[in-house]
Amino acid sequence: MSEIGALRIGAFSRAVVWRSWRRVAIVAMLLGLALVACLSLGKVPLPPHELRAALMAPGSDIGLIVWQLRLPRTLLGVMAGGALALSGWLLQQVVRNPLASPDTLGVTGGASAGAVCYLAFLASTLGSTWLPLAAATGALTAVGLVYAMAWQQGVTPLRLVLMGIGLSAMLAAVTTFVLLSSPLSTTLSAYVWLTGSVYGSNWTEVLRLASWFAGALLMMVPLMRFALLASLDDALAVGIGVRVQLSRGTLTLLAAGLAGIAVAWGGAIAFVGLVAPHLARRLVPGPGAAQIVMASMIGSVMVILADLLGRTLFLPLDLPAGIFVAAVGAPFFLGLLIWQVR
Amino acid sequence: MTTIAAHELSLGYQRQKILHELSLVLPEGRVSVLVGSNGCGKSTLLKALARLLTPWQGNVILEGYDIQQQPTKAVARLLSLLPQHPVAPEGITVRQLVRLGRHPHQGWLAQWSEQDERKVEEALTRTELNAFAERRVETLSGGQRQRAWIAMAVAQDTPLMLLDEPTSFLDLAHQMEVLELLASLNRESGKTIVMVLHDLNLACRYADHIVAMREGRILAQGTPHEVITRERVKEIFHLDCQVIDDPYFHTPLCIPFARREDA
Ligand SMILES: Nc1ncnc2c1ncn2[C@@H]1O[C@H](COP(=O)(O)OP(=O)(O)OP(=O)(O)O)[C@@H](O)[C@H]1O
Ligand SMILES: [Mg+2]
Repeated sequence: MSEIGALRIGAFSRAVVWRSWRRVAIVAMLLGLALVACLSLGKVPLPPHELRAALMAPGSDIGLIVWQLRLPRTLLGVMAGGALALSGWLLQQVVRNPLASPDTLGVTGGASAGAVCYLAFLASTLGSTWLPLAAATGALTAVGLVYAMAWQQGVTPLRLVLMGIGLSAMLAAVTTFVLLSSPLSTTLSAYVWLTGSVYGSNWTEVLRLASWFAGALLMMVPLMRFALLASLDDALAVGIGVRVQLSRGTLTLLAAGLAGIAVAWGGAIAFVGLVAPHLARRLVPGPGAAQIVMASMIGSVMVILADLLGRTLFLPLDLPAGIFVAAVGAPFFLGLLIWQVR
Repeated sequence: MTTIAAHELSLGYQRQKILHELSLVLPEGRVSVLVGSNGCGKSTLLKALARLLTPWQGNVILEGYDIQQQPTKAVARLLSLLPQHPVAPEGITVRQLVRLGRHPHQGWLAQWSEQDERKVEEALTRTELNAFAERRVETLSGGQRQRAWIAMAVAQDTPLMLLDEPTSFLDLAHQMEVLELLASLNRESGKTIVMVLHDLNLACRYADHIVAMREGRILAQGTPHEVITRERVKEIFHLDCQVIDDPYFHTPLCIPFARREDA
């Protein structure tokens, strides 16, 4: 029997793989649980009834903790993780390689270089308000460069990856150089940022990130069809009427934008962009909307749980989320790969 | 009905010119077969006709207009192409692959209409792939995979189909099935079929029109009886043969000899 159902309302129609969406629903519940955990746990642990009370009364003491500290921080993590995962998923589609991620294509490297240069040269006069802009500019510039260098009557996935890896190495050198040649205080704040942290978020930041993220998602909806077709070989894609170069360029730009805004607000959290889409592919076989939603939710869960560990495990220390994404994510990922190869 | 023609077409790869001022009109509503030795430019011509390669000079005319000037999606509703060595995305199932063929008929709103569903099911049935529909393409045998690609082209449902060696990898029975399928698409829906085949005898049986190529030029074209003669085959393939009348189908039947002179 066909596993593909159909959703048809008037002229609107979509194919729906119900089995995949059931799995998405399960992960959505996990995300919900993670959210509750992030709001409840911390220096002041809140049992469920107190959490409810806190949510009802934003003005109370515990209300302040939940509304002003934990909620914005968690929401920022949800969006940063989701955006990184989406960016990784898109890039993996575009370059047709499951090892692609914002890190390998120079996006994260560009954002880091932009942010570190800003912290070293401009932050003293301008404050940290424009840090996200500097990071996003770095990300987009890096992708622009990678694209320009890979261009030869259009770009091929392989050339994109190679140029991305090359540029990442160069950008890492730039970042290290700037870090080493600036004062210690700058180096420290830059270092926390580089590890990736959603520390010290407030509602203004959340709303700013949310508006950018919403914009990117709006762009993504009509482009999704082309993202799904990007893994098809060029001859076949042209054969069914896809403008391959246009679609590849737009999707790369969107991926850079997504990673750029994630890194701008969440810091250079490594690994999410690689692992989340990979897990999503395993849980939801076959490219489709369900896989995309799955990837972004896994990215969110990864980042908020890592942040939760970072701020609860070594109290009173508040460690950047990026450490735990790598410390927990990397062994898990390796284990998965080993188990998969067997 | 859809017409396709090449006009003084020259193109190639990097700096190497493969097709030389080639002009060709493919008969509408008929089955045309391109034959020629390895590397003579058959695939290149097919790709050029399907706007995958940009002409250096001359042009490809689809329905009276230069194909390069037409929106690529509109072209995809008129013309489908099965490349010689297509690569399937990793992890994709047969049904998902065949569904991709519907892309040119879909828009932002309608992405899985009843028509789409019907055409996909029909394509799967006609290529006898129903039992394999949920299998991943990379787990299929060469022949099953080839049928999946054909199913994708069938689902695209275009009046003009270009197929590069659709019978490669297939056993004799499945070769016949694919050729019968294409012949019936031609007969029942009047589709124009243009394909590359290496088996001259099957080419003669299924082609209305044979185009023989050599070194990027057209050497001869016409009915099988006109093109497949002993002299022509010698020119096309540098191969000595005897051409007799097929006792059953009465198309030319080519009996090849070894290339050595003493054969
Ligand atoms: N991508 C490419 N880059 C460079 N040269 C190419 C490319 N593709 C084909 N060629 C060359 O163009 C010539 C024609 O190739 P083409 O694929 O059109 O031959 P063909 O007639 O289809 O052969 P076959 O029967 O082996 O499939 C060959 O000499 C080949 O080496
Ligand atoms: Mg060929």
